[in-house]
Amino acid sequence: MDKRDPFRHNVLTSGHRACSGCGEAMAARMVTDLIGPDAIYVNATGCLQVFTTHNEQSAWQAPWIHSVFANAAAVASGIEAALRARGKDTPVVVQAGDGGTFDIGLQCLSGMIERGHDVLFVCYDNEAYMNTGVQRSSSTPHAVRTTTSPSGRLSQGKHHLKKDVISIIAAHHPPYAATATVAYFPDLKAKVEKAMSMKGPRFLQVLSPCPLGWEHDSALSVTVSRLAVETGLFPLLELEHGELTGVMRLAVQKPVEDYLRLQGRFKHLFGTKEGAVELRHLQALADARIRRYGLLEAETEWDTERSSQVSRHGRGGYVIAQRGMGRELDNEL
Amino acid sequence: MSSKLAVAPGSSKAYQTGDWRTQQPFYRDKWPPCSQVCPASEDIQGWLALASDRQWEAAWRKLSERNPFPATMGRICYHPCESACNRKHLDSAVNIHAMERYLGDLAIAQGWQHKGLKKISQSQRIAVVGAGPAGLTCAFQLARNGYPVTIFDAQAEPGGTLYNGIPDYRLPKSVLASEIDAILALGIELHLNTPVGMKISTGDLGDEFDAIFLAIGTQQPRRYQGSDISNHSVMGGIDFLHRLNRGEQIMLPKQVAVVGGGNTAIDVARCARRMGAEVSVVCAQDPHGSHHHKQGTEMPASLQEVVEAETEGVIFLYRTGVRRLVRSGEHLSGVEVARVDQVHDRHGDFNPLLFEGTEQFVPAGLVIFAIGQEVDWSGLESLEEATQADGVWIGGDAAGKPKMAAAAVDSGFQAAMSILAVLKGESPVTDAHKKAQITFKQMQLHYYPKQTRHEGEACEQRLDGFDEIVKGLADSDAEHEAGRCLSCGVCFECDNCWHFCPDAAVIKKTGSYEIDYDYCKGCGICAQECPCGHIDMEAVTE
Repeated sequence: MDKRDPFRHNVLTSGHRACSGCGEAMAARMVTDLIGPDAIYVNATGCLQVFTTHNEQSAWQAPWIHSVFANAAAVASGIEAALRARGKDTPVVVQAGDGGTFDIGLQCLSGMIERGHDVLFVCYDNEAYMNTGVQRSSSTPHAVRTTTSPSGRLSQGKHHLKKDVISIIAAHHPPYAATATVAYFPDLKAKVEKAMSMKGPRFLQVLSPCPLGWEHDSALSVTVSRLAVETGLFPLLELEHGELTGVMRLAVQKPVEDYLRLQGRFKHLFGTKEGAVELRHLQALADARIRRYGLLEAETEWDTERSSQVSRHGRGGYVIAQRGMGRELDNEL
Repeated sequence: MSSKLAVAPGSSKAYQTGDWRTQQPFYRDKWPPCSQVCPASEDIQGWLALASDRQWEAAWRKLSERNPFPATMGRICYHPCESACNRKHLDSAVNIHAMERYLGDLAIAQGWQHKGLKKISQSQRIAVVGAGPAGLTCAFQLARNGYPVTIFDAQAEPGGTLYNGIPDYRLPKSVLASEIDAILALGIELHLNTPVGMKISTGDLGDEFDAIFLAIGTQQPRRYQGSDISNHSVMGGIDFLHRLNRGEQIMLPKQVAVVGGGNTAIDVARCARRMGAEVSVVCAQDPHGSHHHKQGTEMPASLQEVVEAETEGVIFLYRTGVRRLVRSGEHLSGVEVARVDQVHDRHGDFNPLLFEGTEQFVPAGLVIFAIGQEVDWSGLESLEEATQADGVWIGGDAAGKPKMAAAAVDSGFQAAMSILAVLKGESPVTDAHKKAQITFKQMQLHYYPKQTRHEGEACEQRLDGFDEIVKGLADSDAEHEAGRCLSCGVCFECDNCWHFCPDAAVIKKTGSYEIDYDYCKGCGICAQECPCGHIDMEAVTE
């Protein structure tokens, strides 16, 4: 058991093989440390599963299971039913990428929510199949260049739009569904804590920048995810029983170009006539989301400015050992 | 760890990802711009941080260990720190000046006493000549280190220029006296009315003491060079202020002309205005402005002082110089001024060239020249060429041209450090000035909330007398104002690096963080997202 840090568990500890600056490793470390080691984590196939359990070495300091790509939600459903049958209330958490959520795992997820299992499903959304070499997924935004949606004379990257998965989830009327990102830790923390305080199927979509697939500097993962929110391209929402109950207001709306210019996956849009059309299209998509969710005028306590603010002696950490330290993981076994 | 590619099941920690990195982060304190420009080299960020944590006494100690005059400087200093403050790029500069005063006033109200650093008392004795800011600071530092110090001063009251040269509306005498008393309480001997070279010979001083610090200031006003000089209705700027501060009643005519563009000229003008006179300031330089600043022709007085003086009704005649005094018999009727072309001559010396045919008459019954001061060496001639080798140190204004009072404090500090080193036979300690500076461009200002600057309440009836024109900060405002400090380049434990590290390679300790280089992949997120620029990235060289 790694106990280097007296102020958090490091449920996802060091030595994992994620690329330098990985937004998904950052997001998973935050989320799992907020939940703590006293939970059962079910992982779908994806980057997170691959880079945390390499060469029979696990970076997880909590009970963790991987089955196959499509069935993480079904495995979690079974674990939750078994725990319930034995009268235990250990939290069950699914972690999946956008592939394991939007595409391959969607029907199991839909079933899990529909049957009302007491499981938190966390999707770390990095908008493509990254660990297999950056193939497009249904989460990849419009006009992004991937290896299977190349840019060139006849194509400006992906033709189709990013799947609006949160609306699909909302249509199941789960008790809680929310979107978050790594740049706003206090917001992410509030959402994880709220989700953990509730029963039934809950869903969290965390935008997780990928320096490799998004082609940005490894130091910019947080900056890029902040801009995704500030431009309106990735609205931060909370939905309860299908109804919109909260949004993160934009203190200032930034032009989408501020976000796009930092990323190589949008590079082909700059400097050509066809690209200019897509830039206008992406701006229109951001404007539409801002209008749909009222991101500029919502009367909320939180906005992008307040949620960014730091203060002397931190802005909240992780709850330590609420229900004890959980089972000790043996380093040797 | 035996093999990097271990196959036995276990923790990923067996695989150290640290050797992936091509660059690596370092936590490094920088020297914020406020401290960089502070004439007294105060650790401003340090004492503001303590104040924002409501550790008022610790804040005062941190501040006064470098400058034992916070209540004084918090009133009279021209606070270049605030012009340099990075916060002005976010909303407005931190009110450092008012915070300094707040802590100084609190120390006086609470009766906090300075503490000595060393219990042991040393035998070597030090004489300080001049009880001004430089002399008192030097004595303060030496006494804290356990050395017996004796101060000699020619005046009846200690404080030097702080006592004689600063009008009451800027610095009440009681405030100064309290801070001097606190310094003397360290066991410093003070001999007033004792001009060295007259009452006590320089030779005796040399025999009796192991080191002498000369901080005699510049007591000699520079005289007007015109041929028609007659002492009647002509006064030197500091002479005027000295007499006023000693409580002398000076009768002023209806109109007074003040010549000079420095802070002394403004002090004189504002005093005369309070005594009911109509005051014109004849200034060879240009008013404040970036263009004039670049050209080097901007008046040396502090902008804030000029603005205050203008508010109080002082009239400024810029780019004008005195051609002659206009007299009818002994009686002065005014000064004849003319347009100044070049302020400085070919050698860069202050030597205004006046244009013929641009004359203007400024009526005045008294003209006060505040055009600079010089060291008065009378009685001390034998020490004028002395050096450290002779056991003599020179500091304060006497060591160069007159500067801000805070610079005199620093000069006293530096002299004390040098004296300490020589007496102990050690090499002098180098100062924190060498630390890297930090600009707002290296910081992430969006992490800081915008907050309004707090000001002390201004006095309305300012021309009625010599009462202080600005009140101190309210208690609640002081805490908030201290919290506005951005802590440029100095970690304030915001947790960003700790939260954002994807590799759990930042370990939080109580009061600090540590990078676990066994696992840090060198992504640079911690440095990129550090609000205050405390983290540096450097290429790994191997």
